[in-house]
Amino acid sequence: MIDVARIDHWAASGSGPFHRASTAAKLLFLFFVVSAAVLSRNPYPLIAGYGVLLAVAAAAGLPWFRVMGLSWYAALFAILYAISFRGGTWLAALFIVKAITPSFAMLMLIVSTPYPKIFALFSAVLPEILAAGLFMTYRTLFILLDMMDSFAAAIRMRGGFSPGSLYKNSANISKGIGMLMVRAVERASRLYAVMVVRGYNGSMAEKGAVHFQRQDWLPLGAGTVVLMLVIVWK
Amino acid sequence: MTHMHIPDGILPVGVWLLGLMIMAFAVGFSLYRLRGMDMMKKIPLLGAVSAVMLVAMSLEILPLAYHINLSVVAGILLGPALGFLAAFIANLMLALMGHGGITVIGLNTLLLGSEAILGHTLFYVFKKRIPVFWSAAIATVLTLIMTTLALIGIVAASHIDPELVSHGGEHGLHQGGRVSVQTFAIMIVSLGSIGWIIEAAITGAVVKFIFQVKPDLLAHALHREKDGR
Repeated sequence: MIDVARIDHWAASGSGPFHRASTAAKLLFLFFVVSAAVLSRNPYPLIAGYGVLLAVAAAAGLPWFRVMGLSWYAALFAILYAISFRGGTWLAALFIVKAITPSFAMLMLIVSTPYPKIFALFSAVLPEILAAGLFMTYRTLFILLDMMDSFAAAIRMRGGFSPGSLYKNSANISKGIGMLMVRAVERASRLYAVMVVRGYNGSMAEKGAVHFQRQDWLPLGAGTVVLMLVIVWK
Repeated sequence: MTHMHIPDGILPVGVWLLGLMIMAFAVGFSLYRLRGMDMMKKIPLLGAVSAVMLVAMSLEILPLAYHINLSVVAGILLGPALGFLAAFIANLMLALMGHGGITVIGLNTLLLGSEAILGHTLFYVFKKRIPVFWSAAIATVLTLIMTTLALIGIVAASHIDPELVSHGGEHGLHQGGRVSVQTFAIMIVSLGSIGWIIEAAITGAVVKFIFQVKPDLLAHALHREKDGR
């Protein structure tokens, strides 16, 4: 399960140099690393780039070990894809580092930047319904995760979970998801009504103006190093 | 089929760029279809359904490495245009959680969005003839078969990319390796078919539950009120 709540906690509670950098700089950092992965035809520069990112994450006080573990999730489908190519270990290695390097960069962005800051930047370019939809999704997600935890506890306590019965478990889980859906719509409608009463008119309070600052040297520098490694080391 | 877990840098540039362009067009068309809507009702609905999709996607069925995605439920509840936007939001959020690549957001949205559109259409065709549970379940299976074929098509298209072959670097991406879309298709269909049944059963039960508890969500009352569609 994606630990959204933990990621949100890391993003909101940290105060290292990566946290202090601007969102625009970190998005540019991500763009450089994704470009490096797209351009790379050789696994070695990307392996070196992954090492650079690990070092930067550790130096910046990010939860680098957990981030590293999460980034390897991206390798699962890359391995499946590599098997379909039948290209041997070299190709498999290339696909795996192409998968985990941008994934690590993305995780560095999200564990150091609260989602509302990212959405604020998006809201400058996205239509209102999408920007508002993103924010509502994010807000409702945390309410649902809490409800899901309560539902899981309730279903166990009332004997609704039977390890041997797939049919019974599926039926109960389906009803749980149905209940979650109905309550999510009700909660989201109420939340949106409250926001409108308090003056929400479709735009974020914090506008995502692009501005760079002195602390941006770390993400911009790290992204440039990874990209240059791929361009120079062919 | 659920969204692709193909990370950045694996698919050829032409394939994902085309995906992003078609997605941008489809999002624009969906927004055009939703003009003049009642924002007070649709934005919370969009947020709620997208969030439930994300919660469902985060629950992995471990032995299969499969997760349900509820895209057909989204299509049934939101309609094709809003369902497509929910697919876009869910994919963008997933990418922001490091689950799936940034460059494949276009292709993933097209796959998930087409599930919402197809699921919606098929469900309302079947609903006139058979009970709600079976309408949703059959619509889900048919939709997932079609989108799985689309996924295999995307992978096949990515395998024959000439740029990838000619600029494969010193070792060459294809050097010494034999391309096998067939292997990929066999793996995806054999694992996916179990997932289709699970997804169909859960979708059928969820839609039946909503039909019994809050039928106005299925009746599309929220969509018709202002749009007149």
